[in-house]
This record gives sequence, structure tokens and C-alpha cells, in this order.
Amino acid sequence: MDISKQEKLHTDLLTLNMGPQHPATHGVLRVEIKTDSEIIAEATPHLGYLHRCKEKHSEFLDYRGVIPYTDRMDYLAAMNMEHGYCLAIEKMLGTEVPKRAEYIRVMMAEMQRIASHLMFFGTYAIDLGAFSPFLYAFQDREFILRIFEELSGARLLYNYIWIGGVWNDINDAQLKRIEDFLVELEENVKKYHNLVGENSIFIGRTANVGVVSKEMAYEYGATGPMLRGSGIDWDLRKKRPYSIYEEFDFNTVVGEGIKGQVGDCWDRYHVRVMEIFESIKIIRQCLEGIEEGPIMGKVPKVLKVPKGEIYMRTECPRGELGYHIVSDGTKNPYRVKVKSSCFTHVSMLPEMAPGQMIADFVASIGSIDIVLGEVDR
Amino acid sequence: MHNEVVEFLNAEVSGCNAVANIAEVGDSSITVDPTFIKQVCSALKSSDKFKMNVLQVVSGVDYPEENIIEVNYIVASFIENTELIIKVRLPRGDENNLPKVESVCDVWKAANFLERETYDMLGVVFENHPDHRRILCPDDWEGYPLRKDYVVQEKYMDMVVNPPEKINKDDIEFFAKMRVEHEDPTQVSGSWVDDHAWIDQDLANKAKDRVAQVKAAKKAKADAAKATEEKGE
Amino acid sequence: MNTTTITTTEEEGLTFKKWLLNIYNAVRSVSKGMLITLKYVYGVKPVTIEYPEVREILPENSRSRLFNDAENCISCYQCAVACPVDCIYITATKRDKDAPKLKASNGNPIRLDLHQYTIDTALCCYCGLCTTVCPTECLTHTTDYEFAQYTLDSMKYDYLAKDIRAWRDRIVK
Repeated sequence: MDISKQEKLHTDLLTLNMGPQHPATHGVLRVEIKTDSEIIAEATPHLGYLHRCKEKHSEFLDYRGVIPYTDRMDYLAAMNMEHGYCLAIEKMLGTEVPKRAEYIRVMMAEMQRIASHLMFFGTYAIDLGAFSPFLYAFQDREFILRIFEELSGARLLYNYIWIGGVWNDINDAQLKRIEDFLVELEENVKKYHNLVGENSIFIGRTANVGVVSKEMAYEYGATGPMLRGSGIDWDLRKKRPYSIYEEFDFNTVVGEGIKGQVGDCWDRYHVRVMEIFESIKIIRQCLEGIEEGPIMGKVPKVLKVPKGEIYMRTECPRGELGYHIVSDGTKNPYRVKVKSSCFTHVSMLPEMAPGQMIADFVASIGSIDIVLGEVDR
Repeated sequence: MHNEVVEFLNAEVSGCNAVANIAEVGDSSITVDPTFIKQVCSALKSSDKFKMNVLQVVSGVDYPEENIIEVNYIVASFIENTELIIKVRLPRGDENNLPKVESVCDVWKAANFLERETYDMLGVVFENHPDHRRILCPDDWEGYPLRKDYVVQEKYMDMVVNPPEKINKDDIEFFAKMRVEHEDPTQVSGSWVDDHAWIDQDLANKAKDRVAQVKAAKKAKADAAKATEEKGE
Repeated sequence: MNTTTITTTEEEGLTFKKWLLNIYNAVRSVSKGMLITLKYVYGVKPVTIEYPEVREILPENSRSRLFNDAENCISCYQCAVACPVDCIYITATKRDKDAPKLKASNGNPIRLDLHQYTIDTALCCYCGLCTTVCPTECLTHTTDYEFAQYTLDSMKYDYLAKDIRAWRDRIVK
């Protein structure tokens, strides 16, 4: 074949649809990608397949009725979603939460963080072609869900943290079981990290892939492990302690570029796995410090939040969660706006994708750890 | 902190009319003139003192009584560890004349999706936005869901939005029917209200009329009894 | 025409030594992983349950199918008000003054006659808000989780029907 003729060949970008039903998009995200052979030239995320108008629903409910709806936004971190919402309302009301309830809340939030990170660990390994870590991670997650089920009565959507306290008390037997489990978990996670994180195939797929620089992270408003993976020391639990987080001693894990550049997919994976150990530390301190007492503060039967607005930020497993709540003094919230971290992270995809192979793009999406319920709300 | 920011903004961006709203409950905010929002944002971002380097939320709130849509830009500094709510109040307009405000996409790239969401939900047009489309709702959706006067369209692409087989009509209307049929409708009480959108309004009115009728009859009867009593005295 | 470039850090050529090292690394890390997997093959008991034969007993305060004990219900509508999805339908009438006086199990007087107490379980989100506000504790969550039906209509429970008590004490075997 004459090579000179090849230049006259018409080449064009190929449009591919990834999703809405694609195993690597973790739910119903559709990404329209334009590829030049196997290299992505342009990616456009299309959202809204899981849009359930939660913000509109909240305007017709009383303040307590919103809590089950917040569960359903980020269904993998329902405890953290409830925690943020209740903190916002309590701050407006000026309610004092009993110490025991605070301890239980923090403990539940951290257990949920571990469960969520284990879920990330499992699904990320599946994205990259390893199946068995998923099953190992679920085995440990199962224990946490079991404890949640015993306390709240539900496995996924708890409605456990209430305005003013928590629903059910935790007993000594359960505390003991958690303590025993933590020892086991610590060993297991070390083992899993050896299995996946140190594997040279995994490193080859994730190191130097999907690099998010510091400037880009700030520019797009990235939070949570996304931001810490880029080497920025920012954790709301440390920098702006809410609840009783200032009492605990733990470290912020920051991406250092051990296997590649700072801010690549491996760093984000590393931050999440190491955060499990930090969460274990916090829970251990909770178990030591927990004290007897009531679990519900004084809250009026019909909640009427004083007129005003509030913006409450908390640290969720996936990043910063913000509730912007506007109240007009009646028993229904006037406006509830949820700042979801995944939503902002998805907006980074068009800039992360160009120049990547499709397989690397899958690794990039996985490392964001999206939950589409939170993105679309 | 808010007063400092207001001083800074009034000095830096002339004409922005920054006013601090110090709140007793919850968070305080700053209101600025809508035409200067981009300058205000870039001034805050580039200032050495405040270093507002992250845009967290663009959140719209609808106030139909005041005929105003408020857009809140919640910005934060991850260096100084502060946050700030900047408010812009826009006239609500009508269908052909949507509220307009300058986009801040050039200042923070995060604004791209956040502003698209606000457009989708509240119908605020952001001028000079690079990709001004709906984001959560389909492109051909009618109306802006988070406005207070929003009514769901009945049909979307030949699909009924609230199909009757999914509404438990019999159960919802049980209360109204019972009042029509019961011998003493004033004694009947129920958990569903008459002005609910799914209740047949004719039936609800009929039930209301019957209650009023029976009440009037009872009152007349009581009055008559009273009158006879008085006569007897 | 759009031109795209791949950015990689491994621009240097592949030497024989590097090639060998790559192979060594791959074999070492894969065998390390396989060792952990092997331990699971022979060391760990299965955690899954063969469902229809073996059934898990849910914890006591598990939130599953709702049950309303209509005899104890005082028709206060608190559950219907608290419900975030509005799936509880109640209608009641005032009792005659000369009718025999009734009391709920905890002593609350029953002043209303229930005529409709229906919950659409297909709509229910099992949040548990209705059971916590109930003053007589007649509305409770049971631990029964096997109630799938073929039609939406049969998911609607009329708690005034006579046969409703039949599944109340149904124990999961």
C-alpha cells in the first residue's frame, strides 16, 4: 500500500457512549466520549438518570421527615449524611446533644467511613479486573452493617441519627464486639492492601494515571480524598472540628506520590485505605471515652427552626458535604440545598479524560468513588 | 469578618454596593449588586487577605412574594480556613424574560456544573457560560422544578407523569366519600386533606358542602331549641 | 483535526535488565497475592447462607413489614402526619356518647371508631418514624421480610380486614 495515500484517508473522532448502564460507571452515569483510536479526545458527562428531586421533596416535609431522604442521597454513607443534616439543624436550634450521643454518632460515622472505603476498595479492584478483593471487602463490611442493623433496624438506610441525639442506645456487648472486630479488621486491611495496592499490575494501571494537580483540585473545588490525594493537607475533622472531633488524636493522610506522581489514582486509593486505619484509631478512642448518660437532648415535639440560613460542612467518605438550609420559621424547611462532593468531582472528568486511554479512564472514574445517588440527588 | 469583607469589596469594586447581613441565628451573608458579581468574585479570589480559592456551592432560593430569586455563592478559603455566603438578588421575571446574571466560570471552573444546576432548577440564566444546558432534567423538560410555583407537566414525551394506576385514588378519597355518605358527617375525621392535588375536587367540594349543610341544620336546630327554651321561661 | 498525545513518564527505552526486573516484580507480587487467596481457599469458613433452606433471623428491632393492632389504635393520626411518603390512610368517626367505653392496652381511652386504616407497603420507605410517634405502640415493625407480591394492589394492607392477624405472629423458620 502506498504510504502517501494514507494521508488523504479521512480520519474522524469516534463517539462512544459509556453508560448509563456500564459496570465501571458505578450506577447510572453516562459519559459521552470522543476517541481518536483508543485515546480519548473529549469526554462529556451526562447526569440526571437518578434525579429524584430530593431537594424539592424536602420543602414539603417537616424537619424530622427529611432525615430518611438524606439517607437515600449517598446510600453508601447514610450515617454521615444524617450526621451533617442533624448538626445543621441543631446549630440553628441551639440544641445541646448529650455526650454519650455524640460518642455514638462519631463512632457510627467512622464505622460508616470504613464501610464506604471498603466498598471503594472492592469495586475499584473490580474495575481494574480483580474480583476476589471485592468479596473480602464485603466480608468485613458485613460486620459493620450487622451492627448498624442491630442498632437502627436497617442495613443501608438507617434513620438512626436524629435531631438532638440518636435513636437507640448501644449496649456493652455490642461495644465489646466492635472492639474485637477492630483488631481483626486492622489485620485484614493490611492484608488486602498487600494483595491489591502492592500488586505490580495494579500499580501499572493506576500510577501516573488521572493526575489531578493541586491547582486543578482547588480550581474545581475538589474535597475529601480527591483533594488529599493531590497532596493538600485538608481535613474538616482536623481543620474545623465539628461534633467532638477535636478530642481525638488522628492523622490526616496525604498523597505523596509513592508509586508515581502526586495526585494520581494510586495516591487516591492509598489515601482511602490509610484512612481506614485512622478511622480505627478514632473508634478505639471513642470506645475508651464513651460514658453513661442519656442519648437524646431536649428537642420540642414540633420542630420550628428560627428564621435564618445556615451552611454546615462535614467530612464525608467521599468529600465535603454541605447543607445550605434556609428556614422561614415554619415547620417545613424553605430550601435545602445539598452540596455533594461527587457532583463537583464529576465536573473534573472533562479535564481529566483527554489524552487518556479508555481503560485508564475507567480507572480515573473508579478513583473518584462516585455514588450517583449523591450526584443527582 | 463580614464587615471587613464589605469594606474591602466597596473599596476594590466600585459600585458593588456590598452590604453585610449579620444574622443572630445561623450564618451571616453579604449581598452585592448582581452586575458586579464576577468582579466581586475575582477580587475575593485574588485578594491577599481573604484568598477565597474554592467555590463550594451556587444555590438559588425562590421568594415569590418579593418577586425575587436569590442566588447564593458560597465560597471558602482552604488557606485561611474561612467561608462566606455572597448573595445576589435578581428580579424573578417571567417565562420569556428569565433572571440573568454574569457567569463566574472564568474565576472558578467549579462554577460550570454548579451554575448549570441552578439554571436547571430555578431558571437563572448565566451569561457567558461555556456550556449553558440543563444538567439534571432532560433538555426538553418544561419549567424549573425548584421554583415555588412549579407545576409538574402532565405528559412528557407521550408518557403520563403521574399515571392514575399508581395513585391510590380509592384510599385517598375514602374520607371525602365517607362524609358524603355518613349520616352525621361532622363526626368524621381523616388523615388526608381535601385540597390535596390528587383528590377529585368535585367530590371534595360535595363533602365540604354536606358538612356545612349538616352543621347549619344542627345550628338551626340548636337555635330553635334555645328559642323554645327561652319561650318556656 | 484533533490531535491527542499520551503522556507517560516511562519514556526511556526498555533494557534487558529492566525487562527481567519487570518480570520478577510481576511474578513476586502476583504470587504474594495468590498466597493470600490460597489461605482463603483452605482457611476460612464460608460466610454465605443457602437462603431458602437456611434463614437468617433478623435482630429484634429490625424494621420490616408494618403491623397495626387496630384494637389498640386510638386514631390519633400521628403516624400519618409523621410519614414522609404519605402512605398511611386513616378515616375515623366519633363514638357515640352512650356506647360502651373502650380503652387501649396502655390505658388511653379510645374515642374514635376506625373505619379505614390502610398502609400502602409498596410506597413505604421503612424509615420507622410512624412507629416511634405512636402513643399506644399499636403500630410496630415486625421482623418479617418475605412479603413479595405479584401485583401492586396486593401490597396494600387493610388492617381492619379479618385475616390480617394471620401473619402478625408469623415466625420466620
